[in-house]
Amino acid sequence: MFFIGWLVIIKNQKGKSWIKLVESKEIIEIFFHGRGGQTAITASQLLAEMAYEKGFIDTIAIPIIGAERRGAPIMAFTKISEKKQIRTYDSVKEPDYMIIFDTSLLDIPRIKDTIKEGVIIIANSPIPIDTTDFPDNVKIYIVDATGICIKREFMHSSGPILNIPMLGAFGKVTGYYDLEIMEKVLKKEFGEKKVEKNMIVATDAYESVKEV
Amino acid sequence: MSKARKDFTQEQETKIIKGNVSAAYAAKSARVQVIGAYPITPQTTVVEKLSEFVDSGSMPGTQYIKVESEHSAMASMVGASMTGTRTFTATSGQGLFYMNEMLHWATGTRLPIVTAIASRGPAPPWNIWADFTDVISQRDTGWMCSFCATHQEIYDEILMSYKVCEDYEILLPKFVAYGGFILSHTSKPVIIEDQEAVDNYLPPLPDEKGWPHIFMDPERPMMFGNLIMPSGFYSEFRLKIHDAHMKAKEKIKNAAKEFEKSFGRNYGNGLTQQYKMNDAEVGMLIYGDLALQMEEAVDLVREEGYKVGMVKLRYFRPFPVEDIINIAKSVKVLGVMDRATAFGSPTGGPVSSEVKTAIEGVEKTAKILPMIGGLGGREVTLEQQTEQLKILIKMNETGDAPGDLFHGTLWHGKLEVE
Repeated sequence: MFFIGWLVIIKNQKGKSWIKLVESKEIIEIFFHGRGGQTAITASQLLAEMAYEKGFIDTIAIPIIGAERRGAPIMAFTKISEKKQIRTYDSVKEPDYMIIFDTSLLDIPRIKDTIKEGVIIIANSPIPIDTTDFPDNVKIYIVDATGICIKREFMHSSGPILNIPMLGAFGKVTGYYDLEIMEKVLKKEFGEKKVEKNMIVATDAYESVKEV
Repeated sequence: MSKARKDFTQEQETKIIKGNVSAAYAAKSARVQVIGAYPITPQTTVVEKLSEFVDSGSMPGTQYIKVESEHSAMASMVGASMTGTRTFTATSGQGLFYMNEMLHWATGTRLPIVTAIASRGPAPPWNIWADFTDVISQRDTGWMCSFCATHQEIYDEILMSYKVCEDYEILLPKFVAYGGFILSHTSKPVIIEDQEAVDNYLPPLPDEKGWPHIFMDPERPMMFGNLIMPSGFYSEFRLKIHDAHMKAKEKIKNAAKEFEKSFGRNYGNGLTQQYKMNDAEVGMLIYGDLALQMEEAVDLVREEGYKVGMVKLRYFRPFPVEDIINIAKSVKVLGVMDRATAFGSPTGGPVSSEVKTAIEGVEKTAKILPMIGGLGGREVTLEQQTEQLKILIKMNETGDAPGDLFHGTLWHGKLEVE
């Protein structure tokens, strides 16, 4: 579905626009919304690693760094590409997927505005999220990542480690990687000892993520 | 040393790592022997990663010196380099400015110190994001200076730098600069090369017989940096430093050639790297991370049928004058994009001012459009870069420079203020 013709409108400085047919959307773009301490930035990095492990030829993880504090809104992006080299460093404006670690962020208008038509959202929520004023064709999946972390005691000093269950859910929804790939990457990143617990929460999320 | 060299091994592997980590791996692969470490955003993770390497034993024999300031970081590098060791440090922005005095010392003593710079905008106003003004403002310290466009290039360029700097005819220090956060904190696949292959490319440093004039040894007492009277050889030492810069151009080309032979990655002729310039009527000279994204923009604009190309400026010092002249002769309009400022210079941008000087008096050269953008880490999107190329195309078609220049320079992507 990402290799069909795609219309991109490029605006120039004075607001005049021209329309250009870009051959295909070969680079898949993922937008992470989280709060400081929810491990969203690590998630963007791990996702790049898992996609690469699965055979995507190029990936880039882009954290947006400002003056972060625990609880402050955090943005990060990952771009993954199966065939084409990724040559951009700019931020993602029309994501294919959005991973939302904290649905209270959607109460902030400038964050809600980043939801674009046709995007697939994976949100950390035990209940369906409020889609009032959402653009058209937005597909929503939910997973109770916080609940899974609490149940499995998967916490760090300031709260649940949400990135692992969110990435488990993302793998299930997209099929870009499976639990086996996740285990391989996490082993490399965090060592043999910690993998088991990581995989328990990843599996819980992988199995429980659902479309609403 | 020979025993230690057997101790650390690294097989070729691809890792998804941040630009800063890529710099740290390069230092490890180059088997640097002394690291002077002081943290500053956005460079900090370079020395953090190196401390992990040293602590875990994967850099046996390497001295990791924690110092109390950047001034001391460079002083420690100067001292260590005088004993004939391979040295490495990293810094950014304000930290680099604090190093300034010792930077001159490194050049004057002809020490091949390599320093990674995760570039950031000079304060005030306080800024920690990509802007090459920090490293470019050290222009006249006599350090060589190059820019990286990709994560892989950071790793590769650090290896190539030691090759050039440690050449007996050169013996100069060098900066390897890359955009803070844009490269330092984003992650991409980077090939870490096999240790044996790197060792073949970068042999160990010579002993006191190879570098008699900078090899500090208690057995052979000598004086460094002593006073020289105006009637002494001060001018002649300075002349030799400039001469080394000029000679370095050929060495840089050779290092890049040899690098390609050993590792298969091409960086143009080492000084500049062209992209689709063969039939281009309009070109863009650009450096750092913006150069990679500009390749994408060139492809997009070419799809519309325009003959555009771009040149990545890899080296700022020594400045590749011959390349610049050839490029300026090959196109009709040449944009020069600076992610840096040089206040009060002919164009306001450091590289565009140098380009104008380089082509002075040469006939039939392109019209130059100096451009400035992306200062203080302001995002430069792909769309903006295609727009910049369109401006050059329009300038070629109409023969007129755009109307909204600021003292002769196009400040692109600036906010509209009253």
